[in-house]
Amino acid sequence: MVSSETGEGPKKAIVEMTKAFEQKYPNVTVKVSYRAFDSWIKQVKLSLASKNPPDVVAGNQGYQVDGELVKAGLILPLTKYAKAYGWEQSFSPQSLQQFKWSPDGKTFGQGTLYGIAQSGQSTGVFANTAKLQKAGVDPAQLKSFEDFDAALAKIKATLPADEPVIMLGNKEQYEALHVWGMLQGAYTPAQEVRDWIFHRSGKTFDTPGNRQALAKFKEWNDKGYLGRGDDYNGRGEQDAATLFARGQGASMLAGNWNAQTILDGLKDKAAFFDMPAGKSGKVAAIGSASVPIHIASKSKQPDLAAAYIDWIAGKPASPTLVNTTQVPAILDATAKPTQKFGQEVAGGWEKLIADGGLTFFHDWSSPTMLETIGQSFQEMLAGKASVDDVVSRIQKDWADYDSQLKSGN
Amino acid sequence: MGVTAPTGVGDRGSRAPRPRSAVAADGRAEPRVRVRAPGEPRRVAYLYVAPAMLFYAVFAFAPLIYTGWLSFFDWDGITVGTWVGLDNYDRVLSDPAIRQSFVHSLVLIFFFAVLPCVLGLALASIVAHGRVRGVGFFRAVLFLPQTIASVVVAIAFVWVYGPQGPLNEALRAVGLGSLARSWLGDFQFALPALGLVGTWVMFGLCMVLFLAGIQKIPLSLYEAARVDGAGPVREFFAVTLPGLRSELAVALTLTTIMALRSFDLVYVATNGGPGSSTTVPGVLVYRNAFSNGAVGLAAAVAVVLTLIIFAVAFVITKVVDRDLSK
Repeated sequence: MVSSETGEGPKKAIVEMTKAFEQKYPNVTVKVSYRAFDSWIKQVKLSLASKNPPDVVAGNQGYQVDGELVKAGLILPLTKYAKAYGWEQSFSPQSLQQFKWSPDGKTFGQGTLYGIAQSGQSTGVFANTAKLQKAGVDPAQLKSFEDFDAALAKIKATLPADEPVIMLGNKEQYEALHVWGMLQGAYTPAQEVRDWIFHRSGKTFDTPGNRQALAKFKEWNDKGYLGRGDDYNGRGEQDAATLFARGQGASMLAGNWNAQTILDGLKDKAAFFDMPAGKSGKVAAIGSASVPIHIASKSKQPDLAAAYIDWIAGKPASPTLVNTTQVPAILDATAKPTQKFGQEVAGGWEKLIADGGLTFFHDWSSPTMLETIGQSFQEMLAGKASVDDVVSRIQKDWADYDSQLKSGN
Repeated sequence: MGVTAPTGVGDRGSRAPRPRSAVAADGRAEPRVRVRAPGEPRRVAYLYVAPAMLFYAVFAFAPLIYTGWLSFFDWDGITVGTWVGLDNYDRVLSDPAIRQSFVHSLVLIFFFAVLPCVLGLALASIVAHGRVRGVGFFRAVLFLPQTIASVVVAIAFVWVYGPQGPLNEALRAVGLGSLARSWLGDFQFALPALGLVGTWVMFGLCMVLFLAGIQKIPLSLYEAARVDGAGPVREFFAVTLPGLRSELAVALTLTTIMALRSFDLVYVATNGGPGSSTTVPGVLVYRNAFSNGAVGLAAAVAVVLTLIIFAVAFVITKVVDRDLSK
């Protein structure tokens, strides 16, 4: 098994569950290796195509990784195991959609099931309640996106000049995407965003909503909400989470996989909530099930591999996931968090699901999208590219890949 | 390679006529023993070079040819590729982002090659003839960066240049806090900041090379220069610099190649960002081959980069060595 969960909580969960699996089946040994997500998605294709691949691997939703694995026949369809373990009932259709493909790897979001995931990963607002209080901001009173936007100005006024209102680390270029996803969600219905990612015909990135969201993001940067200069380009997501956990910054707009790190640092000052809804009245933000777990086509023990997957991602996994401040991806989880922060994190995911607000990740939409969006956003924030430039670059990337998909290559 | 070196025509000309032995005189056939001058090429020599040649062929030459072959395909790395002829090269030459990456490499040549050589020359000429205590110690310390893995160097400098790193703290401590910034996250400064890391790594190597070279310049030349009334600067340009030409060629070639093929330092320190302001060809090769599923394009970039490196190395040796033989 190769896992890309190297964050504190998620890794601990896999270590514990694997140990328990081996205790339950003494004749089975599971060798787990952990690779940084960023480099693993570059190795997974080669690893699975090799002569003796790992039986179980982590992939990544979207055309860049899973699409290629399906197209090349490197991972097994899980239809029969889904029936045996009741995955179709446990997971919401919105979750399983992310792992469904046509066998040629071209149609994404429907077709055969190729993987399942452990946890619900959504993005939202982490807050340092002490700093919010000082500014007289009560998270419970932030009913709409406008309220949130207004609160940022209030917080800014009470912080030292250089301290960010929104802690961001954007060294790897994907982090700013998570912040922007919440802005986008305030202006655009989640279904629109998903349709664009799945390449439904007639979709475009060039919408008034996206333009407004981009302009708002730039405005936040120009008002100094993201801290001094472009400091955020000099640190990564982990660094930002650590700094925030140590009391730097009033909020952090990021993925709930940072929850454990932030809880460890901020203790009872840590709070989490979804970005308040925009005009639609429904919350929407970047989020999805965690990375899919696949079985290699060349695996000699596919049945055993499926049992292991169910163990670490299906019903048996709930207690361990909850203990590590993660949200089980399944709807019929057998354990619930008991402490306030854990409940807030779980509640954030559940509300997004209930509102149909997971927009998924934009980089699923083409193999080069992560690079395109990452660079464009950095340039826009630094004033090197306009909203127009960003919109046209992202849409061009999408359209280029769209025509490739349609031309049958 | 010494084994194959043919001793050449000269030897053949000097070969003595075959001695007529006494045996031949009594009418019996001359024994058919081939007499060979020592050092004459023999076929067995190929056996000696075979292991090295094989190694070279399998690990350097074959991949090079294969990369060239791949550059003519549109290939995602797994499924069957399609032949696209020169399309990938067309993109390398026309895509502004790719062209920009080569420009970044040229900027890095200044920091990786020119600056270290200048610094190395200056330091070497000061150290070699001045009376500096503990030369051995300084030499070792300045050479040290060369021995550290570049990934380690990169991680260390991410910290040094970081928003809360020692460089910025030092600036704030001396009242220059307004200059403090996230050096590697700044569009203007990221590339020069990376370049200076290269300077730091490379100039020790240059200095050590030049120091060794200076020691081999006859002292009498310096004495003659002094007798003629040359000051230290004149002495440097008239004696030291000409005496160091071959070292200069080696140092420039090595450091320029390092600049052009830089990858690990950039990948770890900035990943080509912010935006694409530090993207170099090496990063593009890696990204296209392993995450964007464009192996053909990656191969084309690599081939172009290889050709440029060959050309630059060729020019440097030609220019500097020709001067030497004057």
